[in-house]
Amino acid sequence: MWRRIKKGLEVRIGLEDLIDTKLKRYTVPRNTNIFYTLGGVALAAFIIQAVTGFFLLIYYVPHSDHAFRSVQQIMTSVPFGWLFRLMHVVGANLIVAVVFLHMLSVFFMGSYKKPRELTWVAGWLMLLVVLTFSLSGTLLPWSQLSYWTTTVVTAMPTAFPYVGDYIANVLRGGEFVSGVTLNRFFALHVALLPPVLVLFLVVHIFLIRRIGLSSPPFGEQTAGAGEWNEYRHVSYPDGYSFYPYFVLKELYMVLAYLVVMFFVITFVPTLFLPQGANIPADPLKTPAYIKPQWYFLAPYQMLKLIPNKFFGISIQLLLLAMFILWPFFDTGRERNILKRPLLLIAFLASLLLWIVLTVWGRTS
Amino acid sequence: MRYSVTILLLLAAVLIGASMTGANYRDIFGKEFLTKPWAGGQVKESVCISCHTSDIIKPEYRDIPQEWKQSWHYQNNVSCKDCHGGDPDDAEAAMSPERGFIGTPDYAEVPQVCGRCHIGILKNYLESGHGRALKASKTGPNCVTCHGSHNIQKASIKIINEARCSRCHSYERAKVMKQALFLTEKKIRDIDEDLKRLKRAGVFTDEEDKTLFRTHVEYRTLFHTVNVGLVKKSTDKFARKLSLIEDKIDKTFRELEFRRNFSAFFMMLFTVMGVVVFMLSRTYKD
Repeated sequence: MWRRIKKGLEVRIGLEDLIDTKLKRYTVPRNTNIFYTLGGVALAAFIIQAVTGFFLLIYYVPHSDHAFRSVQQIMTSVPFGWLFRLMHVVGANLIVAVVFLHMLSVFFMGSYKKPRELTWVAGWLMLLVVLTFSLSGTLLPWSQLSYWTTTVVTAMPTAFPYVGDYIANVLRGGEFVSGVTLNRFFALHVALLPPVLVLFLVVHIFLIRRIGLSSPPFGEQTAGAGEWNEYRHVSYPDGYSFYPYFVLKELYMVLAYLVVMFFVITFVPTLFLPQGANIPADPLKTPAYIKPQWYFLAPYQMLKLIPNKFFGISIQLLLLAMFILWPFFDTGRERNILKRPLLLIAFLASLLLWIVLTVWGRTS
Repeated sequence: MRYSVTILLLLAAVLIGASMTGANYRDIFGKEFLTKPWAGGQVKESVCISCHTSDIIKPEYRDIPQEWKQSWHYQNNVSCKDCHGGDPDDAEAAMSPERGFIGTPDYAEVPQVCGRCHIGILKNYLESGHGRALKASKTGPNCVTCHGSHNIQKASIKIINEARCSRCHSYERAKVMKQALFLTEKKIRDIDEDLKRLKRAGVFTDEEDKTLFRTHVEYRTLFHTVNVGLVKKSTDKFARKLSLIEDKIDKTFRELEFRRNFSAFFMMLFTVMGVVVFMLSRTYKD
């Protein structure tokens, strides 16, 4: 049976040639490290989110009168509903961590430099989509945590002069977070964001395959060095095969991701479901313990520290624009950050500042 | 690079320029975003608290806000105006009778004030020896005699003790009542603790909370009759009701245990698979 399918595909699409050219003869640098697999892990994490999200969608009711109860039904009555929900909740946090790590490693290894500027920009846009996924998904359980976190986040655009209130009203569908907001965020979460993310993903992967993988800038550089004045595909004739070498490397990192996910589900299942996540939304009762998700704590704390709120948001937008466009500023040829002490210090200082602000935001 | 820097500088100029001009929007945002409790800001304080913590009030009344903040009422959002009336948002009319201010209720009127919320308890209290004594003499025990006034704690069996009861009568009868209550009270306390544990484990226990609350209130109401015979007679009925809640809690704990074991199995499975794939990848490299 399997042979017949294989033969049928071979006759029609040239399966063996496809595997040979796209997987076996496609090579990766010999000095790739573990950080090169993080993009693949992020892709696997996204697939896990899509699959678990699909199962949640079967039982979830996107209405403010029923949303909380339907999530509780998923947790208690639907067979293994708890598993899909916890995988989705834990995965939603881990995917951000993986994408963060991926971007940090790409930055550290200078892989954003010419000719890979667009790959970097597409990656950043995907990070923004993932964060929007997280924001919209947070409201869907319609708990106190959901309601008040969304209230805080949708209040942020009001810091903008003239258009701020309008933006906030468009986001909420009114002056306050309500059932209309829930419908908007639900539509965003399940209908708009997934195809947008897939689109950026396709562009990102296309660029990687079209240009070729970058090699780590440390030690002996095998390819891609030198001037870049016209298109050429970066290949590594003496590198390792993508399949099975790199695929196996990706696979054990994906398994490591799953181990971390199931470690959290086993030992600290409420890590990302704090106190307010288990209480139905009550627009009349403001809880005192609501904080943004861990990855928004640094910008949240920064906003609290800067007295002029619009200035605070402006600074953050400028920093965001600078990070997205960074390859167009940093146009020098040197990729090894260890040979650029100023950039290395700026990188480490930014990282430290982010950690300090996050911890401060958590504890303040 | 030149174009990128220009674009970024232009964006910076626009945003910073706008931040200089949009002062009123900054204020609105500050109020919306920073003065709410989630941002660690100040919550609007009632004028009752403001006056009762200031020098304009007699020293003996200044501890009241602090006592109230340690009370069970405070934890359940029962504030000054719920007992004393008045308007906590308007300093001028805070103590105006037109706004329902009654101040300190008369001693004999206290059960009626408390009974506005604790309806069932009021009925049983009024029929009890305590209630009849108050009615007859105007000096018999009222709610405050046993529960206190501002620092009211969550009622428990501990409230029945020799020091408190023997201020008015001998402890013997109260002791018998305490013994009759003991097992049911302990069961209620244990269930309450279990429900707290379930909540910490992320389980929504709304239905069990409500059932326990109803049963508990019914039981406490009964206790206010101060009728030992009636309490003893009703204990079985309450024990059955509580056992139903206990069964549900036990089932939930077993379910949580199953979930833990189930996900631990997958964690170990993925660990083993990871090790195998890692070793396999090493052989390919070689």
